[in-house]
Amino acid sequence: MTSTPPRPSRAGAPEPRGLRAFLAHPATPFLTPAVLYLALLTLFPFVYNVILSTTRNNLARPTQTGFVGFDNYVTLFGDRLFQIAIGQTFLVAAGSIVLELVLGFLVARLFFAVRDMPGSSVVRTIYILPMMLTPVVSGLLWSYILNPTLGIANYLLESVGLPAWTWFSSGSSALITLIAVNSWQWGPFLMLLMLAGLMGVPREQYEAAELDGARWWHVVLWIELPAIRDVLTIGLILRLIENFRLFDIVYAATKGGPGTSTEVVSMYAFRQIFQFFNVGYGAAVSVVILFIGVLLTSFAVRLLRKEEPGVR
Amino acid sequence: MSVRRRWKRWTLFVLALAVTFANVAPMIWIALSGFKTRLEIFTLPPVWIPSRLFLGNFQRVLDANLPFLLNSAIVTVATTAGVLVLAVPAAFALAVFGFRRKGDLEMWILSTRMMPPIAAAVPLFLASRALGLFDTLPGLVLVYIGFNLSFAVWLATSFFRSMPMEILEAARVDGASWLQILLRIAVPLNRGGLATVSVFTAIFSWNELLVPLFLTSNQAKTFTIVLTEFQGQTNTVWEQMAAGAAIQVIPIVILTFIVQRSIVAGVTMGAVK
Repeated sequence: MTSTPPRPSRAGAPEPRGLRAFLAHPATPFLTPAVLYLALLTLFPFVYNVILSTTRNNLARPTQTGFVGFDNYVTLFGDRLFQIAIGQTFLVAAGSIVLELVLGFLVARLFFAVRDMPGSSVVRTIYILPMMLTPVVSGLLWSYILNPTLGIANYLLESVGLPAWTWFSSGSSALITLIAVNSWQWGPFLMLLMLAGLMGVPREQYEAAELDGARWWHVVLWIELPAIRDVLTIGLILRLIENFRLFDIVYAATKGGPGTSTEVVSMYAFRQIFQFFNVGYGAAVSVVILFIGVLLTSFAVRLLRKEEPGVR
Repeated sequence: MSVRRRWKRWTLFVLALAVTFANVAPMIWIALSGFKTRLEIFTLPPVWIPSRLFLGNFQRVLDANLPFLLNSAIVTVATTAGVLVLAVPAAFALAVFGFRRKGDLEMWILSTRMMPPIAAAVPLFLASRALGLFDTLPGLVLVYIGFNLSFAVWLATSFFRSMPMEILEAARVDGASWLQILLRIAVPLNRGGLATVSVFTAIFSWNELLVPLFLTSNQAKTFTIVLTEFQGQTNTVWEQMAAGAAIQVIPIVILTFIVQRSIVAGVTMGAVK
C-alpha cells in the first residue's frame, strides 16, 4: 500500500499518516459513528461466540456450566443432523437459483419485448411484488394454498384430472416444495437484474442482427447473454448468500420438518439455542456458520471488486 | 410497424399480463380468504369471491393484536430514522473523500451485511438480557439499526457518487464547512435516492422475523411474530391468519409502488442502476 503513489481523491489532497492525520481528516467525524456501530455489532458477537463455544452452557441447567475446550465442535461435526442441514441448505440454494435463472430469463425476455407498451412498468412492478413480500407471509400463504385437505392447489390439480400431491406434508416432497416456494418469492430478483441488463442493449445491435438474418438463439447467445453477464454475476452471488441465511419461510411453513426433510442451517442453529437452550453448543454452530459465511462473502467481495470500477 | 408485428406485440403483452397475474394470484387468494368466514374457508369447491364483505377476521385480529402492530410500526420508523442518521454522513464521506484503505473499509462494511443473522443470536440474546433490553422496543431498534446499516451506507454511497463534485468544491471555496455541504447541498440534491434508502430500510425492518423471535417475548413482540402464532399444533385459524397476512402486506405494496423506479438499485445495494 505504501509504495504506490497516493490515489488522487475527488475532493481531498493526498493524506499523511498517523493518529493526528486521522483526527484531522475531514472524513473521520462522518464515518466514525457508523463504523463503530457496525464494529460493535459484528465483533462483539463474534468474540463472545468463540468464548462461549468452548463451554458447556445450557440456560436450562445453569449449575453445570464449565470449560470443555473443543468438545462442542467435535460433537457438531459428528452430528448427522448438522450434515443434513448443511447439505440441504446448499441443495435449496442450487435448486432455487437454477429455477430462478431459467424462469427469470424467460420472463425478462417477455417484459423486454413489451417494454414500450402502455402501462408495462406498472405490470412489471406488480410482477415483482412477491420479492418485497414479508418472507413469513410467503411461508404461511403457501402452507395455506398447499394444505393437502383444504388448500386450493390440490383442488385445482384434481379438477383438471391430475392426482393430488403431498407438498409440505411429506418428507419426500417437502424439500422440492420449499425450493419452489423460495424461487417464487425471489425469482423476480434475478428477473429484474436480467431485464436491467437487456435494457442496456443498444437498439442498433438488434437491428443489425435482424439485417444479418440472425436466428433467435444467435441473439440470445451473442447479444443478450454478454449484456446480462455482469449484473447476473452480482445477482447470483447475492442469491447464494441469501439462501445460506434462509430461515423465515422454513420457520413459517415447516419448521424443518416433516422429520428432517427441510432442515437448513439457520433452523438447526435456532433450535439448538432457543428450543434446547444449549447456548454453548449453539455458539459453536454459530462460529461454523460464520466461517462458511466469511468464505462465501470473501468470494463475493472479490467478484464485486472486479465488477465495480468505482471501488479500486 | 407492420400489422403482423403489432399483433405479435399485443399477444406478448397479453402473455405478460397473464404471467404477472399468475405470479401474484397467491397473494390475491390469501387476501380474499381474509374476508371469508370459517365455514367458507373449508368449503369445497372453494368459494372464489366471498359472498359478502365480512370484516370479522380483521376485527378480531386487530382487537387482539393492535399493540403488536403498533410495535412493528414504531420499530420500523425508529430504525429508519436511526439508520439515516448514521448512514448518510458515512455514505457522504465514502463518496466524497479519498483516504488510504478506503476500498477495504467499504468491503468490510459490505461483508457485515452478508453475515447470517442467526450467528449473532446467542450473544445478542444474552447481552440484551444482561442490559435489561430484552423484550423492549429500544433493544429491537438497536439491533435492527445494526443489521440495516451496511445496506443503507452502500446504497446511499452509490447515490452520493453520482453528484457533480464541482458544486461541492464551489461551496467549499465559498467557505462552507463539510457538515453544511452535507446538509445544505448533498442531502437536498439526493432527496430521491435517500427516500429509496429509507423505504428499503423500512421494508426490511417491517419484514423482520428472526430478531424479534429471539429478542422479545410478549411486550415488544412484532406483528410478524403474531402471524406465526395463528398456526397451532392441532388447530390453525386460517381465516384470521389470512386477514393478518393482508394487514402485514398492505404497507409493503404501497411502499413498493413508491420506489418502483429505483427497485433495481435498492435490491442490489446500488451495484446496478
